[in-house]
Amino acid sequence: MPPSFSLAVEPAPGGGPRLRLRGALTLRDGAALWQDLGGAIAGHGDVEVDLSGVDHLDGGAAALLAALAAGHAERGGVLHYTGAAGDTARLLELYACGRDGPCDRGAPRQPGLLEDIGTFAVGAVDTTRAILAFLGDLAVGLVQAVRRPRTVHTAELGLLVERAGTDGMPIVLLINFLVGAILGLQGAIQLHRFGADHFLANLVGLSVVRELGPLMTAILVTGRSGAAYAAELGTMTVNEEVDALRTLGQDPQRFLVFPRVLTLLLVLPLLTVVGDLIGIVGGLVIAVGYLDQPAVVYLQSLQLAVGFGDVGTGLLKSFAFAAAIGLIACQRGLATRGGAVGVGRATTSAVVVVLFTLVALDAGFTWIFSLLDW
Amino acid sequence: MGRVLAVRDLSVGYGGEAVLEEIAFDVQRGQVFAILGGSGSGKSTLLRTLIGLQPPLQGRVHFTGIGPPERALTPPAFGVVFQSAALFGSATLLQNVLLPLQKWTDLPPDAAMAVAMGRLRLVGLDRFAHHLPSEVSGGMKKRAGIARALALDPPMLFLDEPSAGLDPVTSAELDELIMTLARRLLVTIVLVTHELPTILRVADQCILLDRQARGIIARGAPRDLAARSADARVQAFFQRRAVEQP
Repeated sequence: MPPSFSLAVEPAPGGGPRLRLRGALTLRDGAALWQDLGGAIAGHGDVEVDLSGVDHLDGGAAALLAALAAGHAERGGVLHYTGAAGDTARLLELYACGRDGPCDRGAPRQPGLLEDIGTFAVGAVDTTRAILAFLGDLAVGLVQAVRRPRTVHTAELGLLVERAGTDGMPIVLLINFLVGAILGLQGAIQLHRFGADHFLANLVGLSVVRELGPLMTAILVTGRSGAAYAAELGTMTVNEEVDALRTLGQDPQRFLVFPRVLTLLLVLPLLTVVGDLIGIVGGLVIAVGYLDQPAVVYLQSLQLAVGFGDVGTGLLKSFAFAAAIGLIACQRGLATRGGAVGVGRATTSAVVVVLFTLVALDAGFTWIFSLLDW
Repeated sequence: MGRVLAVRDLSVGYGGEAVLEEIAFDVQRGQVFAILGGSGSGKSTLLRTLIGLQPPLQGRVHFTGIGPPERALTPPAFGVVFQSAALFGSATLLQNVLLPLQKWTDLPPDAAMAVAMGRLRLVGLDRFAHHLPSEVSGGMKKRAGIARALALDPPMLFLDEPSAGLDPVTSAELDELIMTLARRLLVTIVLVTHELPTILRVADQCILLDRQARGIIARGAPRDLAARSADARVQAFFQRRAVEQP
């Protein structure tokens, strides 16, 4: 569709061009107006644009005329709009630049490297301060909770346990079974080459009970419950519900954080035991199905290889993992700022930090257990 | 002036249950038209039906000269400013205003930017163009919402509770902006509110909804209704007092 305006260029008495716009100037023809008028004024100093033939101007076109004038002024020229009357003059005045200072063209300012470093440093200090404040509140809340246990909000503990434990059971069963089976299959292929089939139970049992069971279960709980806690507390924070709790004399630590950490301390070790058992079953399926090993042989080897100490190390890890998931997710949630984006950022941050912490804790525990010869 | 919106025999509600019945009114071009009523009177439900977010239980809403709101195919026929401003939190104010321009115009990027900055300048927010919504005040969010709703030069604007939650000074500034849009940009404005100062300052015509009556109990110029209505419910609304129960 052709534009509903026309642009005529005439020589002006002073030597520069004199432009005449006629017809309707609207946002629909904004691209043509921007290009035609912008091209006509380029390279000239003082330019007069006669608008007396304009019978309609809308806000979008007025904004474009104002921006063209501002851009021309930045290049040292002057763009005069003349002949505007009635609604056209009124709109030009409304959208004109320079009423409250220079006209901002909207180009975002690009921060320099130094500013980026500074912003990062300030952010790191703020995060550290928030973590320290959280730990301080936690310590105070813990002391008060020990002195007055009834001040801990336990009313929704059952619901939290159901969500983290019962609802999470199917995925824990499925993933740990598959992990046990995959580990069993990979191990069986190698062990079979050396005629060491009967060591499959040792490989699967020890790997699952000491390392993979606790870690995989903790990762699953992080994805389900940790992310949910960060998002839930983050939303409560940006909706000022946490502030409301404070004004009601409730300590967010005892009302929100302790029940969630307590839930994970109860649930994660139990899920870990279930995960260990089903992981071992995964290995058993491979032993029977792939190596034609009688189930009783697998179970007897398992009994000899895996002791209560091995299960204990896994459980000890799961308690530490539970505390890490609960505390980090709640801290990230309570530190949320800035609406829906902030909640998303807090949730992502919680999951990433927890996963890193889980792996670091696992490595630390494994190193300590090896030193202690456990 | 000419009629721009005609509502006839309209029933609105949820799940087949009517909140409002037999609603009928006209809005004239260039008018500031207020839909008034207490909490729970169905103002927001009526607004959602007018802007096409909720189907009517019965009746029709007819826009004259600006086409029906077929959102996916044509540019929006009117702008809407929601009560919370509903700005996209991950985008700056400028990016929020740019969004409809990028979708519905063929403007080159620098021209689209110029139009968006013009809208922000109009509502006094050009210096905050690169701020996120979470970094500005409630009143500024509302003004940014208006800038975004104006992005495509709609002839009509719907505003849901524009003054809700704002201090009196900010609320008065927003009223000034609404009057500027109506008087100088000639935008037809339909606003839903129960803020008396806003109603008396900006509205040319209004309808007053009542929860018990499930419909319109008064219509006319707000100052006339406030001064002359003999209806106890209308007097109670404009005098900010509880309705005396029989």
